[in-house]
Amino acid sequence: MSRRSGLLFVAPALLLFGVFVLYPMVSALSYAFFTWHGTTRGVFVGLSNFGVLFTQEPFREQLPRAFGHNVAFFVGTMVIQNTLGLGIAVLLHRRARTRRLLQTLYAMPYLVSPIVIGYLWTLLLSPTFGPVNALLRTVGLESLAVPWLGDPSTALWVVVLVSAWQWVGFPVLLYGAALGGVPEELSEAARVDGASHWQTFRSITLPLLVPAIGTVSVLTFIFAMEAFALPYALGGSTGNPAGATDFMSLLFYRTAFENGSTNAIGSSSAIATLLFAVIFGGAVLATRVLRRAENRIGA
Amino acid sequence: MTTTLVAPPETREPAPPQPQRRRQRPVGGVVGSAALWVYAIGALVPLLLMVSNSLRSTPSLYSEPLSGPWPPNVDSYRRAWTDGHFGEYFLSSLLVTTGAVLLSTAVATMAAYGLARSRSRILSVIESVFLSGLLLPIHLAVLPIFYLMDGMGLVDSRWGLMLVYAAAGVPFSIFVLTTFFRQLPPELEEAARIDGATTWQMFVRIMLPLVRPAVATVVVFRFVPIWNDFLFPLVLLRSREKYTVPVGLTSFFGEYSTDWSSLFAGLVIATVPLIVLFLVATRQIVAGLTAGMSK
Amino acid sequence: MIGTTRRHLTALTVATAVVALAACAPSSSSTGGGGSGGSDGKGVTLSVWSWRTEDVAAYDAIFDVYEKAHPGVKVDFKAFKNTEYNQILTTGLAGSNGPDVVQVRSYGQLQPTIASGSLVPLDSTVDLSSWDANVVKSAEGKQDGKLYAVPLAQQTLQMFYNKDLFAKQGLTPPTTWAQFIEVNARLEEQGITPMAVGAKDSWTLPIVHQVLAAPRFGGAAFEKAVLSGQKTFTDPDWVASVDELKKLKPYLPDSAVGVAYTDAQILFTSGKAAMFPGGSFELGFFQKQNPALKMGVFQVPAPDGSPTTAPATTGYADGAFGVSTRSDAQQASKDLVAWMATKEFGQLVADKVKQLSAVPGVTYADPLLKQMADSYATNPSPYLLLVDFRYGTPSGTDVLGTGLQELLLGKKDAAAVSKDLQRGVSQWFKPSA
Repeated sequence: MSRRSGLLFVAPALLLFGVFVLYPMVSALSYAFFTWHGTTRGVFVGLSNFGVLFTQEPFREQLPRAFGHNVAFFVGTMVIQNTLGLGIAVLLHRRARTRRLLQTLYAMPYLVSPIVIGYLWTLLLSPTFGPVNALLRTVGLESLAVPWLGDPSTALWVVVLVSAWQWVGFPVLLYGAALGGVPEELSEAARVDGASHWQTFRSITLPLLVPAIGTVSVLTFIFAMEAFALPYALGGSTGNPAGATDFMSLLFYRTAFENGSTNAIGSSSAIATLLFAVIFGGAVLATRVLRRAENRIGA
Repeated sequence: MTTTLVAPPETREPAPPQPQRRRQRPVGGVVGSAALWVYAIGALVPLLLMVSNSLRSTPSLYSEPLSGPWPPNVDSYRRAWTDGHFGEYFLSSLLVTTGAVLLSTAVATMAAYGLARSRSRILSVIESVFLSGLLLPIHLAVLPIFYLMDGMGLVDSRWGLMLVYAAAGVPFSIFVLTTFFRQLPPELEEAARIDGATTWQMFVRIMLPLVRPAVATVVVFRFVPIWNDFLFPLVLLRSREKYTVPVGLTSFFGEYSTDWSSLFAGLVIATVPLIVLFLVATRQIVAGLTAGMSK
Repeated sequence: MIGTTRRHLTALTVATAVVALAACAPSSSSTGGGGSGGSDGKGVTLSVWSWRTEDVAAYDAIFDVYEKAHPGVKVDFKAFKNTEYNQILTTGLAGSNGPDVVQVRSYGQLQPTIASGSLVPLDSTVDLSSWDANVVKSAEGKQDGKLYAVPLAQQTLQMFYNKDLFAKQGLTPPTTWAQFIEVNARLEEQGITPMAVGAKDSWTLPIVHQVLAAPRFGGAAFEKAVLSGQKTFTDPDWVASVDELKKLKPYLPDSAVGVAYTDAQILFTSGKAAMFPGGSFELGFFQKQNPALKMGVFQVPAPDGSPTTAPATTGYADGAFGVSTRSDAQQASKDLVAWMATKEFGQLVADKVKQLSAVPGVTYADPLLKQMADSYATNPSPYLLLVDFRYGTPSGTDVLGTGLQELLLGKKDAAAVSKDLQRGVSQWFKPSA
């Protein structure tokens, strides 16, 4: 396609996005370089708001911790999304009769607002009323009946699992669509040659799925770095218990809206800009790696 | 003209049995099926809890949080409909969400095609610009977006809300769709170009049907968060009659207490259209896949 | 089909881009509030925003009274979800088409709104000289000392208890600390959770700390000492008060840090827990969810070793109404908030919203509300961290909330928690020596 055609095709999206999202976002990031009095912008202060993030409490302690949680969240959800999601998509691939029904069932947690998801899971896992612990006790797994959301060592993993449960519909759909693009003839030929399901999958299907896996992984990374609604619903804005479920976006939220500092916009924008820089770096790196892998396979 | 636009796959033999007719053993067999269903049921438990709780009154939820809904009490559904102003807000939600998703998907599909099929420097940069939109969640930019809308006179306008949502959906849609477009073999277009088709015709007649599954996926994953969002309507709208469904539901959240039963009932009602959409979308995905398989 | 749509789309986006280039950054010059209607006072509609979705019906009834007395004025009361209210308020006050009268937060959390220049000073509109100084402080600017809103309600913190459960065990509200411990022990023996505390939601813990141990750190005297710099939060009395919570841990629900606030409410309303340390804001909710529940309140006696032997009822102001500088019905709005400083309004709040009014001289028909108001009048103690330590980041309540969770989890002791608190607030707090 000629460059001119390319630009014409891209123009509407670029205009829409540029005006209504890009411009406000750049503004939001630029706020970090000023000091603020409520919503009135003050003087330009360069990197001073950023400096505060690394030298003063609560940021000095909470920022790295929250970031660590985001990373752990990414690793956890990535592993689960890509194994569980891919596994389910593969299992569903040839079950044409039940596929749509099952896909809908798997995607249903995604359709409900995260606030309520948080409440429902808090109720299910409650040490006083929750059926999960009651069930574990009757089955004899007393030792597992811990306060899931009350223990700092388990709370984060609960958030990971609930998030994976909520989002699994997305990789299932995407991988399902990608699997449909894998030519039947290749895997049939392999089966005829005597390869097992697993060998066929590993040598033929999986390499062809790399672009889709790449997409899911990059999106999971970005989502994990930005995660807000679910952690907020499960752990509140302070990342209960004792900051174990604190995320970068929760730190942003607290700083921007829940404290009495008149420079709230300055500090919170600095957090947002920092987050953006990290995600940008990570995503650029990941996309480059994946494009290279794609080109190698696609050739 | 159309018969030669689709490149015949070289590997097609004249007489192998059609995949649909031959009975193929699904991966994993019975155990696999059982596992799928067990996970499906287990995954639904919290939602079943929500439906069950919606059939009880909030005081009974506060005295016996986990007993069954017997006798079922549909009072909460009535309350959700009236106090949550469902009837009035439904149309707003439908207009805003459908409009935003259509706009977003349309411009994104075009842009994704352009980005996937050109190899120029400037388009590479533009692609990065789009992807940068993924990197910052929109709720961090609420204040500047508000100022922008205010300056354009689009506060208290459903159009304004729709434009914001549509723009916000562009990066994700482009990201997913470029991947799919890139996977399509260039031979398809070469053959079409030889036949004299314009770029636009190639786009509409060949490419679009082939990426139908991806487009359907993108539509679902843009529709749901927009349908469920309450922050932007609360910030950008002022007239009650323009509010969307989630805004009505937020009235059940008190400062210290929540009317769970009405909230759950409202959510059950609000989720039904999403389920319908999902079923339609998955059918498109399947249709797209079968069309793809026979290419 | 798609061709023409695309053309229309392109045209639309180009037009929008042109308009957008004219859009300003912050401190936009748009004026004009939401109050429609002319300056002749005929047919004014005042838009009032609040975060109390629970009270919409009550406020509609209250403003009906105002509308009858002021023909031509209509009040449109809108309540928004509490957790998003700060964002909504910020944008609402910053642009056109916003509210006229707004409910605003108190003490420290009010300062960003004031600093934005969004509220009209009300010193010449209302006279609050006869009000409790701590209450008036909640609506003043820290920098300039001007009054920016009329305080709405007071909250008091005390111990709720289930009268039936107490009677069944032959217990009465304790008057000494030893009795208090015995009440807890007896309930615990009988398999009833003595105190329902939702420690998973960290904001509840500083409240519980105040209810159980305010006399231990010295109440109002300690506040004065800390504000002037004579004492800090590492003071032994404060540390001992934090330690009381640790000592009372066996009487909290098992794995308290895993119990959510809603769970704790359920424990109390369903009769599985006998006591609930909480605020006057809980009253309406408890009464609504379980009208059959026979509730009482008492002040927890002073723990052993307290500087003062009298029990204390902690209190603070919660919420205030201010006038937006962008409102185009300034006089009508000021009239409305002036009315909110009258006893008539205060009485309506007490009767319909069922909260303690900030207006002095209000009578309470509900016996429990009356008891709370009287206790506070007799033994007031400030909710120190909320009243004085939310003027910067981190806020005192946040730091102590998390610290108390760590205390209950056994990760830190009272001295470490207090040290963290001191370190946190000293980031921005300067004693006015």
